[in-house]
Amino acid sequence: MADTNRTQMANRATALLAGPFLLGRRALSALFPPEDEAPPEQPRKDLGRGITVTPPEHAIKRRG
Amino acid sequence: MKTRLPEHGPLETPRFWRTLDERLETPEAQRAAQDEFLPGAVPTIYDDVHGLPPQDGFSRRDFFGLVGAAAAVAATVACDRKGQGKVVPYTRRPVEVVPGVANYYASAYQEGRRVYPVLVKTREGRPILVSGNDEHPGVKGKTSPRAMADVLRLYDPDRLRAPKSGGRIIGWPEAEAQLHGALKGAREAGKPVLLITGAQASPSQKALLSGLKAVLPTLEHLAYEPASGDAAEEAARACFGQAVEVQPRLTKAKVILSLGADFLNGEDPEALAAWGAKRRLKDAQETINRLWVIEGPLTLTGTNADVRVPVAPSRLGPVAFALAKGLAGLGVPLPAGTDLSAIPAGMPPELKEATKDAGKVWSSLLKDLHHAGRNAVVLCGPQMPAEVHQAAHLLNAMLASEAVAVLAAEPLATVKELEAAAKGMAEGRYAAVVFWGVNPAYTYPRAAAWKEAVAKVAFRAWIGQVEDETSAQCQLLLPENHWLESWGDFTTASAAVLQQPTIGTLYDTRQGEDLFLGAIKALGGQAPASYHAFIQGRWQTSLPSGTSFEQALHDGLVKGEAKGVAPAFRGASVSAAAKAAMQSKAQGLELVLFPGFATFDGRHANNSWLQETPDPITKMTWDNPLSLSVQDATALGIQEGDFVSLTLEGTTLRLPAILQPGQTKGVLALALGYGRSTGGVARNVGTNAFPLMGLDPARANHRMAASLAKAGGKKELSRTQSHHRMEGRDLVRSLTMEEFAHDPQGHHHAPELVTLYEEQTFPDHKWGMVIDLAACVGCSACVVACQSENNVPVVGPEQVARGREMHWIRIDRYYEGDLENPKVVHQPMLCQHCDNAPCENVCPVNATNHSNEGLNQMAYNRCVGTRYCANNCPYKVRRFNFLEYTSYKTEPETLAYNPEVTVRPRGVMEKCSFCVQRINDVKIRAKGDGRAILDGEVTTACMAGCPADAIVFGDLKDPKSKVSQLRSASRAYRVLEELGVKPAITYLADLKNPAVEGGTHAV
Repeated sequence: MADTNRTQMANRATALLAGPFLLGRRALSALFPPEDEAPPEQPRKDLGRGITVTPPEHAIKRRG
Repeated sequence: MKTRLPEHGPLETPRFWRTLDERLETPEAQRAAQDEFLPGAVPTIYDDVHGLPPQDGFSRRDFFGLVGAAAAVAATVACDRKGQGKVVPYTRRPVEVVPGVANYYASAYQEGRRVYPVLVKTREGRPILVSGNDEHPGVKGKTSPRAMADVLRLYDPDRLRAPKSGGRIIGWPEAEAQLHGALKGAREAGKPVLLITGAQASPSQKALLSGLKAVLPTLEHLAYEPASGDAAEEAARACFGQAVEVQPRLTKAKVILSLGADFLNGEDPEALAAWGAKRRLKDAQETINRLWVIEGPLTLTGTNADVRVPVAPSRLGPVAFALAKGLAGLGVPLPAGTDLSAIPAGMPPELKEATKDAGKVWSSLLKDLHHAGRNAVVLCGPQMPAEVHQAAHLLNAMLASEAVAVLAAEPLATVKELEAAAKGMAEGRYAAVVFWGVNPAYTYPRAAAWKEAVAKVAFRAWIGQVEDETSAQCQLLLPENHWLESWGDFTTASAAVLQQPTIGTLYDTRQGEDLFLGAIKALGGQAPASYHAFIQGRWQTSLPSGTSFEQALHDGLVKGEAKGVAPAFRGASVSAAAKAAMQSKAQGLELVLFPGFATFDGRHANNSWLQETPDPITKMTWDNPLSLSVQDATALGIQEGDFVSLTLEGTTLRLPAILQPGQTKGVLALALGYGRSTGGVARNVGTNAFPLMGLDPARANHRMAASLAKAGGKKELSRTQSHHRMEGRDLVRSLTMEEFAHDPQGHHHAPELVTLYEEQTFPDHKWGMVIDLAACVGCSACVVACQSENNVPVVGPEQVARGREMHWIRIDRYYEGDLENPKVVHQPMLCQHCDNAPCENVCPVNATNHSNEGLNQMAYNRCVGTRYCANNCPYKVRRFNFLEYTSYKTEPETLAYNPEVTVRPRGVMEKCSFCVQRINDVKIRAKGDGRAILDGEVTTACMAGCPADAIVFGDLKDPKSKVSQLRSASRAYRVLEELGVKPAITYLADLKNPAVEGGTHAV
């Protein structure tokens, strides 16, 4: 068990450092929000812009 | 709960079997039966019991450290602002579009000579579902799997979006100037222009090309369909002096003889509807037809045969002509001038080799045909040699068959004409060549010679949708509209059909016909402004009084029998064919090249829905392995998946092999349409078999003297049938007509079920389904319809090989009997919506539960992916999203989604919902009208898509509903009834009407 723990040192260090780092970054961004920051879920620019769906001309629908 | 095992219990050798491993009870098959998932389906990093990562090497301290950090991060993230998107109202809404309400347009789709009148469902302007036009007297609301799947081609990301010249994007004025300049130059020089198109089934398109020919007299036009069967064309020219189209009229058929004809393969919804109507019997007193099939490879039609006789295609001719001679001996007059002196009298020796009871089979077949007379029909497969077609024409003429219509058709160019065109191009005869919707650089058998010849033409233009092998050789690429963006008209036997756009063009594309109208004007001719105006003008002069063009567009058609005189059969034409048939000798192995179920001639190869739909016979996806008989495989030491070298006239292909029970000894079968070199989906899927096609049109698809050898190595086959074993239980039942007549309840061994649970009650509705196995032919139209309706994801060949395909409905194909010529039964299998559903009890988060209408429903956002439900499902119909199959998709692919059905993410279980969105749609409409739901008003996608009407859905609470009445039929049974899960789906046992044993039922 002790041997296993020693070999996992890198993993442990990563886990223990990443938490405070991410926490700190979130805290800073909450305190000083960049005004022009894009909303996190904005779609990529290339999506939804290139294709425009238009109704067919002169067609007669059956129902709807 | 007391249960009793069925008679065919797991310890017995199964009566029905699905794979060779299962039939032979190999140790691998027995091991696989014990495992829930295929090897590799569950990632090795997961503990298969708990679905958790392995626990070793991870200390308690690390765990708490991570929990602390994760909790802090989660708390911070939860305080974040999310979803800051802008909501924009539909301020400029088109008049036709009401958000949330589907529009339906009647239109039409063409594949080869075949025309499919369709109804297209659009949501918010996007076509999302194609079904048959219910107003058409022939198809009656049904269509083919490929027509349904072709909506995906509209949203193919590989579509060319603007004209190209010399590899650079250009505008339409420049593109048209180049085209017009080339045509004018050719006219001035007096040099021919070659135009190669697909089949002409449109009268307006024909008129348009005549108009083009008038202003460009040097135009030479070839209509080329590489998968239509050149032999059929050759035989028609010989027998009728012109091209014909043979259309079965199976409603009038009592006896059907197929000579390698696969008319039940899903391509012909009219034939399937007629077949289904003759097979959905309530009792044995109703009339049933009888299907005789004599064929080499096992076809879908062969699997539905009442009597199937395996005979190599090279020997079909002598058998068919011997039948004609036999009928003549029974007093059926031969057409004038027919000479069958080359044919020996009596039973042909081929039958003796093919079947044990050859004498009885032969006399029964002759008797059946003779007695049925006008109600008998003989159909020949397009891939069979020309002499077999001629024999079939002769037999139909002798019988004066009313069950087939021989209609005059526009001629098609055979490989011989293509060869002449290639020669002309190589000699520099043509000033320009225009390819319109065809791909001869891929489909022509000698592709290298073709490309060399094309390169010698000064001006090469291509009109099409996705850049392909042919466009790669052209300077000018003109992107064409999809048919759902186009105008057109077609002639069918029972109605004139209109094609109208259901969406505005997605890209800067044009209709091919509009380009030619522009060319006519540029060359000094008169033409209307658009093809729409051209069609409207033509139709308004020919419409029956009282019918407006708008009404015709609304209906999609104008009913009326097609005019024209049926071509007369020339009896004198068959004597040469009879001699040729007798001289035909089997040399080496025979190879039959047939259009792929998914790909056809390659035009659908870029359609992932079709690529992933299992082939109805082999259950292969994403590939075209070589099918060979079990006997040949044993002799050559070939096993399933082995790579083999197939050599024919100096061309060698290396491809995987599969062993096909029922395939005639000495016969190989290979699907066309694979091995494309272009297309994001199609590229390098399977092997291109077109190089093996012959240059003799009389037998272009049937090749002799092939040789086969093991090539070393093995391929993992992406095949679905070996998944979900059911260990020999009697899941599928089949009766002969004799059994049905004398002991209709004989198949029942319903167990006595005792339960401690209270009977469930359903206050308003109890939805249920009945599937008639006698009508189901296994065409897989339901699979494609379900995929389109329910946004079923495509997973790709590697995932299918791991048993991770996602189809909500599958067709289980069962063999019965010997390996050489087994009987086959197809069984659609989907969620059974059990009342005592075993999956519901084991879900730890209640993600799957029972509705008060009897639906076994899924709450996707509650599912945590334990897969316990899949483990506990006895029908193996639950599908798990092992990977993220949908969220990475972007437009245009996402435009094909049905907005009424949630798209499922990774880690979520899914399955058939009985199309709950359709049930709710009908409920809302009925409530709005203040009425009850009518019987038959709710249709699931599979039911609506089934051309044979084998599936019936409805309310079991209504005792008068069709589904309630069918549920109590004598053929009815429920799969695994002994488990007491009370499935909502009832199957009606398959029926076979054999002639020799068990076939006492009179035809």
